[in-house]
Amino acid sequence: MNHLKNTRRSALQLGTLSALGLSLGQMLRAETRAPAKETPPCESVIQIYLPGGIAHQELVDPKPAAPVEYRGEMDSIETSIPGVRFNELMKETAKVADRLCVVRSMTHTEAAHERGTHNMMTGYRPSPAIVYPSMGSLISHELGGLSELPPYVCVPELTSAFSGSGYLSSAFGPFTLGGDPARRSFKVRDLALPGGVDEERFAKRKRLLAGIDSTFTNAESADGIDAMKSFYERAYSMLASKEAVEAFNISAENDTTRDLYGRNSAGARMLMARRLIEAGVRFVSLSYGAWDTHTYHFRTTLRQLPPFDQAFGALIADLDERGMLEKTMVVVCSEFGRTPMVNAGAGRDHWPRVFSTILAGGGVKAGHIHGESDAIAAEPATAPVSPEDFACTVYRQLGIAPTKELMAPGNRPLEIVDGGSAVDEIIA
Amino acid sequence: MAPNPMNRLLLILCAASLPCEAADVTFYPPQIQLTGARDFQSFIVYEALENGLTKDATAEAKIAVADESIARVEGHSVVPAGDGSTTLQVQFADQTLEVPVQVSLSDQDDDLSFRLDVMPVLTKTGCNSGRCHGAARGKDGFRLSLYGFDPAGDYHRLAQEMPGRRLNLSRPEASLILTKGTGVAPHSGGERFAVGSESYQTLERWLREGANDDLSGVAEATDISIYPPEAVMKSKGQGQQLVVVASYSDGTTRDVTKLSTFISNNDNAAEVSETGLIESHNRGEAFVMARFDSFTEGIPVISLPAEADMQMEIAETGNYIDELVNAKLRKLLIRPSELCSDERFLRRAYIDIIGLTPTEDDYERFMADTASGKRARLIDELLDREEFIDLWAMKLGEMLKIRTANQVSYKALLGFHNWVRHQIANDMPLNELLAEVIRAEGGTFDSPATNYYQIEANNRLLSENVAQSFLGMRIQCAQCHNHPFDRWTMDDYYGFTAFFSRIGFKQSTDPREYIVHELDQGETYHVVDNRTVAPKYLGGATPETDGQKRRSVLAHWISDHENPYVATNLANIVWAHHMGRGIVEPVDDVRISNPPVNAALLTELASRFRATNFNLKELVRDICNSRTYQLSTQANQTNTEDLTNFSKAAVRRIRAEVLLDSLSRITNTSTRFARLPENARSVQIADGAVSNYFLSTFGRANRETVCSCEVDVVPTLSQAFHLINGETTNDRIEEGGLVSELLKAGATPPQIIERLYVRCYTRKPTPMEVEKILASFESDDLESELHDVFWALLNSREFLFNR
Repeated sequence: MNHLKNTRRSALQLGTLSALGLSLGQMLRAETRAPAKETPPCESVIQIYLPGGIAHQELVDPKPAAPVEYRGEMDSIETSIPGVRFNELMKETAKVADRLCVVRSMTHTEAAHERGTHNMMTGYRPSPAIVYPSMGSLISHELGGLSELPPYVCVPELTSAFSGSGYLSSAFGPFTLGGDPARRSFKVRDLALPGGVDEERFAKRKRLLAGIDSTFTNAESADGIDAMKSFYERAYSMLASKEAVEAFNISAENDTTRDLYGRNSAGARMLMARRLIEAGVRFVSLSYGAWDTHTYHFRTTLRQLPPFDQAFGALIADLDERGMLEKTMVVVCSEFGRTPMVNAGAGRDHWPRVFSTILAGGGVKAGHIHGESDAIAAEPATAPVSPEDFACTVYRQLGIAPTKELMAPGNRPLEIVDGGSAVDEIIA
Repeated sequence: MAPNPMNRLLLILCAASLPCEAADVTFYPPQIQLTGARDFQSFIVYEALENGLTKDATAEAKIAVADESIARVEGHSVVPAGDGSTTLQVQFADQTLEVPVQVSLSDQDDDLSFRLDVMPVLTKTGCNSGRCHGAARGKDGFRLSLYGFDPAGDYHRLAQEMPGRRLNLSRPEASLILTKGTGVAPHSGGERFAVGSESYQTLERWLREGANDDLSGVAEATDISIYPPEAVMKSKGQGQQLVVVASYSDGTTRDVTKLSTFISNNDNAAEVSETGLIESHNRGEAFVMARFDSFTEGIPVISLPAEADMQMEIAETGNYIDELVNAKLRKLLIRPSELCSDERFLRRAYIDIIGLTPTEDDYERFMADTASGKRARLIDELLDREEFIDLWAMKLGEMLKIRTANQVSYKALLGFHNWVRHQIANDMPLNELLAEVIRAEGGTFDSPATNYYQIEANNRLLSENVAQSFLGMRIQCAQCHNHPFDRWTMDDYYGFTAFFSRIGFKQSTDPREYIVHELDQGETYHVVDNRTVAPKYLGGATPETDGQKRRSVLAHWISDHENPYVATNLANIVWAHHMGRGIVEPVDDVRISNPPVNAALLTELASRFRATNFNLKELVRDICNSRTYQLSTQANQTNTEDLTNFSKAAVRRIRAEVLLDSLSRITNTSTRFARLPENARSVQIADGAVSNYFLSTFGRANRETVCSCEVDVVPTLSQAFHLINGETTNDRIEEGGLVSELLKAGATPPQIIERLYVRCYTRKPTPMEVEKILASFESDDLESELHDVFWALLNSREFLFNR
């Protein structure tokens, strides 16, 4: 039965965006939102993406007993979960392990960066013809925002080529910071009224614009026009809210906190994510590092991993202290893991057969390890988790039914996730 | 395969009490050739009704074989009875069609062949698909080549990797291939076929016959044909059976309908069953494809509302473009929108042809012209402007990835950009321009087109780039496996790459310059068996290259008028630029499973383009002079839902460069770009790596890839913030001093408002609009009040969109 459905799905994925269809705007307006049932366990998400494919072995799935060509040159350390070891560089993460849920049995079959990234960002296998929405856009579409801030923000730039709104209206696309918050000069551009324009004058400008715009918008309809309108409305409401604008001001954090997270890209981005979630952003997606270590794998890991570890440890502790972890899910992921055996250039290559993701908060179990990889971290040994399962789990915690159908162009119904099922074992 | 004219009759059906209804009846396949005792051929009788609908009339036709000792009809198939020729008599109403039937080797029942009989079963049942054993590392310990691109390897893995397990010759029914395939033994893929099914019988018989590999020289499939050519049905529940016939290298044909995989790209409009039966659902268009071996072919299917009036008169005509667009619209029962106003046309033509909005003078002049034919005259005038050349130099710069990089100095890059611009300025045929790039040799300073090889030196990526931007095709998948949704095989991929296997580089005296030349050796090796692959045109012949430079041979093919892809691809790119959407969309993803929305239109555009010797201006002239280009954006009752068939003009956000250049001109300001003179426009930037905040935020291509998707016109929140608070609007309104100049010259606020409207929107405001604005003035500071008006005009979506 399941298989039959897959056939139909793959056939759908072949479709072009052509054919007769409502304009996107009309379609999305026509779409009925699912009635909220009980309060879902999770309200918002921080997605930490490690582009290039981080080695699971050098993250949270070390194999100290494997032969050295598999084990690699790094050691492992104890964590706050008895009997569970992480890479030796994961010192701060090890301390908060009792608040994490580590999945060591992620698996898919896409070994190319863009295809693997597509899997993890959208929960869908890439299609030759249809562009799927990212999880961030989908969540914006389904749940909307929690404040004046945009529901979906990417830190610092678009996290990946598949972080956009796909077949949904571009109104559900992310807001990007446009710069690294770690920079001293960092400021989100154009968030303040220009010199010489006070509140009063701005109010008048808005009235003028509304009057001038009405002629045009009454006459034309197109997805882009509707999307631009929604962005202007969003911009106005953000500009009217001191809290919203202040959320982007990372220098409002005290020195102790900044040092705790680390004064570098990893630290500043994760701290920014916490500020944004606190101010009511629904989905923050941030990227850090470049992990495609075909050569000099260990050297690169040594350079990039400690800042990640420090920032991530600080983020989890901070969210927990502020009581935000309960309602905020933190997800650390990458397009795939890396090969079990170290190659001749002291590197590891692409490996989607098994890899790890880290979750925390938002109603997932704390101090839990789900699934295992085999002795050399080459295949899932137990409880494999697919990108579809992973997406279902995140959506379900947010109260979004993965089987709900949305309308893609051409009046084509597509389920939010194609197959897969939420991983019950990791839900608290 | 062209239908045999013998089978194509115009039948006049006259019932006593009803008016005559003319219909066109065709029998498919056009002839029947049966080889061997097991052979058979299914058929359909297909009726094209005068009202545009088509019908599967097979069940209503009476079909008999003239000589029953040669062949017999069983259901909707013909089977052999004895060697010889005969005809099939097809009776439909009171007309008769005759179809030739040839039968040979009718008493010969050969052993089954691994390649011809078994491999198709493994594909049809999905065993070798990417989700199952066709995955790069196989599935559950068993691997097959994806869609069967490596039959020898597949035979080895089936027969020899685990002797006696996958194939059990002493007890065929205990072979894993049967027990797993039927789901009798635990199988992650479940039941793929039932015990006793045709697939089962084929595999079982092959096992009983000894499961032998083929001897060398077994015939290969060379092509497939799918019938009928199209289907137009009323929605919900109408049916049309498909017939798929494969041709083989030994001259035989075979009915592979049962062995093909069928896919509809829009199940919502038309679904297709595993056996090739199409069923119409809701109103819409679908493309239904059949895949067999490495071939995919498809037919367009239209599903129309059941209650619709089947007549669609479209009275207005323009040039050949309109005729072809309207022909498709008639089938869809869609009426095109009205013609747009002169003001709209003026703004649209300026933006599309020269990349700028019209000035006040341009507006006054065009609106004052009352003579007929003024739109055509404007198009001619714009085509002669320098800005037209700049715009297309930019577009080609994107296709050719002109951008500084480690190995590409600015000097070399600028030379390349100037060379491209120069060729366009001199009306060089576009096919020749591309061919010059392909054959380029010499120093990157002296012979600037050679920079193409400095920008991308990896010959695989290079051949992928050439395929994508010159031919509009993405062949990347075929590097590792035969393309699942297209015709490209690994042989095609490596054959095409082989043209670029002999590029040599030498250092010149200037450290920034390299010399690109052709080596006399260098080969491409196939990744499966490491054999040397000879250069082969994509989808074409394997040319003689001995003693010739491989790239010169390829350049010849690129510029050849017979080349099947170049003219179509370029015509589609030019079309998409003006219409906001390609006939194939995206423009650089031509493949069978992404068919043109209007194939006849694309074919005709390409053929006219060839006829004008690939003249860009002539093509633009034809497109812009069509009624289709000049349609309004306003929908009528029939075309509100149509976004793809060019029945109304598309509303598009103006691309980054055009928006910035227009904004600069409107505000009397300029932007400084690295290495460009003071008043340069952003369209003129030679280097993809040069950008600024405005351009990046509004989606300028940085030319890191050749993908057409790099140019992004999607609105974002950052764009809104920038226009509201950013320097591009606020600072420039002040800096340019336009308002104060006009005030100084004695213009009144209503006059100034009118002029700002013309500058920004290419139209005058209505008295109501002026009144409303004036009523909003709160202070005596006219300059400040008018600056606010200017700000609002630039922030309105009317400014940001081309419509």
